[in-house]
Amino acid sequence: MFHWLEKHPFFFAVGVFVVIAFAGLIEIVPNFAQASRPVIGTKPYTTLELAGRQVYIKNSCNACHSQLIRPFKAETDRYGHYSLSGEYAYDRPFLWGSKRTGPDLHRVGNYRTTEWHENHMMDPAAIVQGSIMPAYPWMFTNKADIDTAFAEQLTDQQFFGVPYNKPVPMKDGTTQTVKLAKSVAEAHADALAEAKEVASKMKNQDVKDAVARGEIPEIVALIAYLNSLK
Amino acid sequence: MSIDEFSAYGYFFLTLLLVVGLYAYIYHLYKKKKDATGVDYENYSNMALNDDIGDTPVKPVSDEKKK
Amino acid sequence: MENRPLEYDYTVAKMFMVTTIVLGIVGMSIGVFIAFELAFPGLNTIFGQGIAEYTNFSRLRPLHTDAVAFGFTLSGIFATWYYVGQRVLKVSMAESKFLMLIGKLHFWLYVLGVAAAVVTLFMGYSTSKEYAEFEWPIDIAIVVVWVLWGVSIFGLIGIRREKSLYISVWYYIATFLGVAMLYLFNNMEVPTMLATSAAGETGIGSWLHSVSMYAGTNDALVQWWYGHNAVAFVFTVPIVAMIYYFLPKESGQAIYSYKLSLLSFWGLMFVYLWAGGHHLLYSTVPDWMQTMGSIFSVVLILPSWGSAINMLLTMKGEWQQVAASPLIKFMVLGSTFYMFSTLEGPIQAIKSVNAIAHFTDWIVGHVHDGTLGWVGFMIIAALYHMAPRVFKRELYSKSLMAAQFWIQTLGIVLYFTSMWIAGITQGMMWRAHDEFGNLAYSFMDTVDVLHPYYALRGTGGLLYLIGFFMFAYNIYKTMSARPVEESELQNASPMGA
Ligand code: HEC
Ligand code: HEM
Repeated sequence: MFHWLEKHPFFFAVGVFVVIAFAGLIEIVPNFAQASRPVIGTKPYTTLELAGRQVYIKNSCNACHSQLIRPFKAETDRYGHYSLSGEYAYDRPFLWGSKRTGPDLHRVGNYRTTEWHENHMMDPAAIVQGSIMPAYPWMFTNKADIDTAFAEQLTDQQFFGVPYNKPVPMKDGTTQTVKLAKSVAEAHADALAEAKEVASKMKNQDVKDAVARGEIPEIVALIAYLNSLK
Repeated sequence: MSIDEFSAYGYFFLTLLLVVGLYAYIYHLYKKKKDATGVDYENYSNMALNDDIGDTPVKPVSDEKKK
Repeated sequence: MENRPLEYDYTVAKMFMVTTIVLGIVGMSIGVFIAFELAFPGLNTIFGQGIAEYTNFSRLRPLHTDAVAFGFTLSGIFATWYYVGQRVLKVSMAESKFLMLIGKLHFWLYVLGVAAAVVTLFMGYSTSKEYAEFEWPIDIAIVVVWVLWGVSIFGLIGIRREKSLYISVWYYIATFLGVAMLYLFNNMEVPTMLATSAAGETGIGSWLHSVSMYAGTNDALVQWWYGHNAVAFVFTVPIVAMIYYFLPKESGQAIYSYKLSLLSFWGLMFVYLWAGGHHLLYSTVPDWMQTMGSIFSVVLILPSWGSAINMLLTMKGEWQQVAASPLIKFMVLGSTFYMFSTLEGPIQAIKSVNAIAHFTDWIVGHVHDGTLGWVGFMIIAALYHMAPRVFKRELYSKSLMAAQFWIQTLGIVLYFTSMWIAGITQGMMWRAHDEFGNLAYSFMDTVDVLHPYYALRGTGGLLYLIGFFMFAYNIYKTMSARPVEESELQNASPMGA
């Protein structure tokens, strides 16, 4: 048999490819449908949150922070309930990370506030002594890219059927609807309204002024995103 | 049969198949010692050692065409 | 055709040798810098607050991983292919104008792709997926580069004089096919400019931005299927291709057993297939089957180790060569590190070990004993072997090479020992509880304790980088060293004092 295969490299290659492809299939495909169902209480990101998520990615926060709480006592004690597959249903891309140089952030919205983040992002070592996290002062002046965040929402809805403008069930039995704007202008207005709420809890005068002028600094979007991690 | 079980059985029998196939191949290599064209497998090492452009190939392509 | 003297044509190989060295320096310098940033966070702003956005740890880390993987390592793979490929197929690139053109096109597009990748990563355009951070236009460029390489491989095979393919060529082909499949599946994404708002606006926002085709857990599954196998097909398979050619050639010894090399090829391919399947082990299937599955896994790993054993046995009875030649030292230590990290990997995959090791510096240590000891050393050795042959000059300095070997070896040892201790310490501290069942340490406790290890790791990396500069200098000086005769190039590379 092996001599025959040695003489017929084509069949040999086909055989190998089938084996490889089959292995890939049974390894990842079955989990697909099951893992993509959102759990109750998980809702799509708003424009501002998504813009903040992009800031998170742009600065590779995931290089140091995981967003995956494993079902061990030590981890649930430290970070809260372990992560469920369906909680990530609207995460494109996933941000589990591979290295915990800093703590897990999957539920950071439960125990850190807007104010705390504001000070911490400006200068981590001033808030937490000995922190090796870099400071991110430029986020207080750089403007968040609302256009791209809106485009991402549209893509999510049109290509992947993410339920914007549709009621999604919450844990307490009610439903909530995450709005998707009709136009770029409306998206900006919605994001700004959300940004004003965040900025009202912040201290930094430059940020407050910028939001009052109708601009959205990156830090505001980032904090909106961090607060949504629960 | 759930899809999980299906993939587990698939995984299991695929591994079984690979193990049997691989060890059969090992047996074949050491039993036959020569490949289908009659060249001792070990001679192929010379492809790296005598690799100047003027060196004679272990098994020239033109050989095949003559047959 | 055989009438006029024909020579191998190393034009493209030389070009890729240059990028191997340049990108190696870039990637490893960034590596050393970010290593010290973790030890001394003040370095994040050392180039000034103004550009700290571009020089802080988080912006640079993807640049490091991509520059060493897709810059240094890939260049090394291409450089050796354009050298080894011709020789073992006994056909010169000079014989085909078409292949020569493809080769050059391959190189220049590659350089363009690298430049675009560096610029966009610096600016913060990233998909955030490890080893696949590039946005969609660069992904497309990478696919084109890859196809050109494929044309070059199969084109050269098409006009070969040697009927059988040498084992190294098998490994290059496997690299080509493996990476092609993985990269395509993992980078499925939809550019956001394709979406339309209710008001009819299109092309909104950044045209570079895209959304992953997979969400959440599925995205992670595909990414780690890719991540795991990308490591296999970039850091293992092509490097094995190199050692199967360069070690026998440099030492003048035939491979210990060619049969063993054939079966360890299949062993390796099969091992990587099931390696991603361990997540099934705790699902609802019968216990006996899971046990059998694990046993088979162990049975399969033996052939995959064949390569490393085969290489060490090739040197059987020739150990004086290892003592005498720093070039052979690089390769022998490389195979040793290979065995070492392929043993360490499966250990870390054991569920209870992984519970501690995951997310810690132990993983980083594991990655680097493989990449510095095995990938780095093999590529360095390959370039040292090629240099006298492509430049027709003897290697500039043997003693410099020997010094480099020892400095880099010390660097690697410092790197992985410090990261092992750091990782295990960190993993244990995270899970420690006091007698009342409360967490024993705050997160900051576990950060503080790592400081000395981070400093030590940085130092190890710095030593390795210094060695790399010595390597670059040695190759550079080789270009103007004593010219050598063809006959001196049969096996052991000629070296100056
Ligand atoms: C060099 C690695 C590193 C990077 C990069 C990094 N962090 Fe951190 N982060 C840390 C460390 C270490 C801590 C723990 C000490 C502290 O609180 O400052 C931390 C803590 C935090 C905390 C507090 C979590 C808690 O439970 O107390 C938040 C929130 C946070 N980081 C957000 C971010 C964001 C957002 C980014 C990206 C802009 C980021 N980090 C980038 C290392 C990093
Ligand atoms: C010059 C020596 C080097 C130094 C000092 C160095 C340093 C580093 C540092 C500090 C990190 C980040 C670790 C963390 O997040 O805690 C890293 C990650 C990484 N490096 Fe290096 N590096 C070096 C060489 C290399 C080489 C040559 C390669 C590959 C050929 C490589 C491949 C990687 C990879 C793949 C990662 C990601 C690891 C992970 O995600 O677990 N490095 N390196």
